[in-house]
Amino acid sequence: MRSSINRPPTPDVDEEPEKEPTLQEIINIKLIESGEKEKLMELLRERLIECGWRDEMKAICRAYARKKGRNNVTVDDLVHVVTPKGRASVPDSVKAELLQRIRSFLTSAAI
Amino acid sequence: MSASNDGNSSPRSQFASHCFEDLLDSIIVDVASECHRIARLGLDRNLEEEEEELRLSVQARVADPSSSSEVNSKNVVDVFGQTHPAIAAEILKCMNCRQRVVAGRFAPHLEKCMGKGRKARKVTRSTVARSSHPHGSPVSVYAPYSNATSTNTAPNGTSGHAGEEYADYPYGET
Repeated sequence: MRSSINRPPTPDVDEEPEKEPTLQEIINIKLIESGEKEKLMELLRERLIECGWRDEMKAICRAYARKKGRNNVTVDDLVHVVTPKGRASVPDSVKAELLQRIRSFLTSAAI
Repeated sequence: MSASNDGNSSPRSQFASHCFEDLLDSIIVDVASECHRIARLGLDRNLEEEEEELRLSVQARVADPSSSSEVNSKNVVDVFGQTHPAIAAEILKCMNCRQRVVAGRFAPHLEKCMGKGRKARKVTRSTVARSSHPHGSPVSVYAPYSNATSTNTAPNGTSGHAGEEYADYPYGET
């Protein structure tokens, strides 16, 4: 009824009304801020190296580069080449371990 | 284990999967970027490629008559517009034996000239003595090469002189 008094301030052009950060974003931020994301990244990197995944991917890239011509490859190309195979060939144990870590982080962050 | 962990469809699991894929994607980009670098810089000792490059470069060299002056330069003009004969013709004085040598024949000359000392190597100026060198080395007393015009050619066996191996360069005037 008395809407005019409590009218929210007109948002400026540059100051868009921020939509509520999604839960996901909040978690993400927590993950990063606590340093856990970095640790998870390192862990994943290490596991993937240990299990030979990285070498496989490098071999794929090399083969692709040889085929396409060493100077004709772009990073984009390689990413597109490697991503499907890469995602599919992560060992289950590695994936499980990482998921476990993430979940326990979520638990400890009380989300 | 945890009650809220009910299968893959729970938002928590979803998030976990999503997060994992994020991490994986980053790592994939890392790998791709590194491989890209290796490919472009040619750091990969990939035989096929190397052979290919070798072949190509040989082809190029053959096909291109105006190759650089550092190799295959028979009457080819170099960057300064000079031409050089195939065998360098300048005459130098060998620092070892002080003979006159054609530059183009200098290396083989040196092989013979200095190589004679090879059997009894390990000579330094200070250690070589007029004494005990059982094998004939140029640094021995005989000093067969000191037929020089150099003012420093004191009779053989001056201790300072004995190091023929290193030439008399600092002594000789060349």
